[in-house]
Amino acid sequence: MPNLFTLVLQITVILAVCRIVGSLFQKIHQPRVVGEMFAGILLGPSLLGWIAPRVSAYLFPSSSLGFLNALSQVGVVIFMFLVGLGINPKELKHQSHAAVLVSHVSITAPFVLASLLALYLYPILSNDSVSFPNFALFMGAAMSITAFPVLARILNERNMMQSRLGTVAIACAAVDDVTGWCILAYIVVLIRAAHQTTPIWITIGGILLFAALMIYGVRFLLRGYEHAFRKNGEISENGMAFLILLAMVSALCTERLGIHLLFGSFLMGAIMPKEPKFVRYVLDRFETVTITLLLPLFFAFTGLRTNIGLMKGPAMWFYCALIILAATGGKLGGSTIGGWLSGMPVREAAGLGTLMNTRGLMELVILNIGLDIKVISPALFSMMVVMALFTTFMTTPVLELICPDQALRTVPKKVSAPSVALQEIA
Amino acid sequence: MSSTGRNFGFAYALLVILPLIGLAGVLRNGRGLSAPAAIDGIWSFHFDPAQNGSSCASFLAALPEKTISISQSGTTFVLSASGDPKISGSGTLAGTKFKAAFGSTEPADGGCRGHQSVLVAELGREQGLDKLAGTLSTADCPSCAPVAFHAERAPVTPPAAAPNNGGH
Repeated sequence: MPNLFTLVLQITVILAVCRIVGSLFQKIHQPRVVGEMFAGILLGPSLLGWIAPRVSAYLFPSSSLGFLNALSQVGVVIFMFLVGLGINPKELKHQSHAAVLVSHVSITAPFVLASLLALYLYPILSNDSVSFPNFALFMGAAMSITAFPVLARILNERNMMQSRLGTVAIACAAVDDVTGWCILAYIVVLIRAAHQTTPIWITIGGILLFAALMIYGVRFLLRGYEHAFRKNGEISENGMAFLILLAMVSALCTERLGIHLLFGSFLMGAIMPKEPKFVRYVLDRFETVTITLLLPLFFAFTGLRTNIGLMKGPAMWFYCALIILAATGGKLGGSTIGGWLSGMPVREAAGLGTLMNTRGLMELVILNIGLDIKVISPALFSMMVVMALFTTFMTTPVLELICPDQALRTVPKKVSAPSVALQEIA
Repeated sequence: MSSTGRNFGFAYALLVILPLIGLAGVLRNGRGLSAPAAIDGIWSFHFDPAQNGSSCASFLAALPEKTISISQSGTTFVLSASGDPKISGSGTLAGTKFKAAFGSTEPADGGCRGHQSVLVAELGREQGLDKLAGTLSTADCPSCAPVAFHAERAPVTPPAAAPNNGGH
């Protein structure tokens, strides 16, 4: 049984620290989510455990972390449902040449750089229970991700959501995330299949069958929600409860099929009706509890697993710098070149590259999966968390430097409401 | 085909298709690389019964089931055991040579109080199990004779994508 006093104390401390640090980061023009990610690190062994080990051991005894983790995972399952809800497949179908090129380059460039870096890091930071292709593919997937919700938040705060730059960035981030999650699903299946007796083709076949059933079957049944919302202007309590139930069942199916809970909830969100007012309505119902209560627990849990102390000596910091360089060079550099070759002015292309380099919370979600399936080691996990924080933190000041004028923010362009609605998720 | 289409095709081939071919090459070449042996997990330690009375090894004998958890990051690792005495330390793995230094919340009696303990061992594999065989000694403590030990790694459980524990 969980020690309820400890659990409630943990939640209280986490929420207080996340709120305070989040507010401080907002004062320096950073999205709150960056501050909350940083707060998680402060509560872990990197700071609290280092300067006050007794306080840390009292607040976060190892026997209690399972309950904290369970709560935080529920939060991430709901969050991924909301991320899927915000992605509009129609938006992806009608991309311009620029968006197609930028989105694909912004995946391949960091992927190639990450795999080249993996050649160097694999003999140093991995072990022989992980094969090189799995290690390199995971590094690639982790570096090619873009934080779709954080990006939407930054664009909204800078009044750039309706600019050409903003719409191309949002479309590219959506493509990157969907692609990144597909690659990650493949890696998880490969790694878990190595430990299971079920042949891999059965696992892959099951996943494809489930995805087809969701996309071509369940998606049409879900239209009933849109009709009910149009008719009544709201969704009943039972309807909302059933929605949560569907997201959870979908999550359980993908977990049982051998990938991860989060793929199921993301897929359920992605196949939901995309009528803007309906999406806004559902987001409003979910986001308060998810964003203010459950996600800070995930940040804290990630922080408890991040130990900067494992990066001992200049060599470790050198590896960390290489990771940041490869991630930034691949994402920012690749997107900038792609944008420029697609006909964007250099400054606008650089702005796009900067936006695409935002990794944020999505990166933390992927890294936690990597650590759970042991494809990355604790030291590499800590380095990648530092990279996620660094690349997310740098977005706002670099964007301010590259795009200080209003010119890039005023190109009128129709933008879909789900993307606008997502601004609040971060 | 329009010039825009041609430019797009050229840029796409140069920036997407070519790197993907390169990626395939990197993945192929990387298969030849070797990483350090996996030692991550729970290890059961067994100390020579004849030497258990040694002050250097006495506190280790009190460990719950004499298990030590190793968290590996390539060639480096941290080891820990919770409960009483709580021990924590770090070490390196060079090929099959295992070396770790650790401190305890309950220092050994006698002249070695406050000194760090050092484990030096050789990593091997017998009947599908990873094993360590070596000695425990106390740094800068001539009165403590090294104590022989051997250890086995608990069988590795399949990685859980959605963990149900703390994951530490």
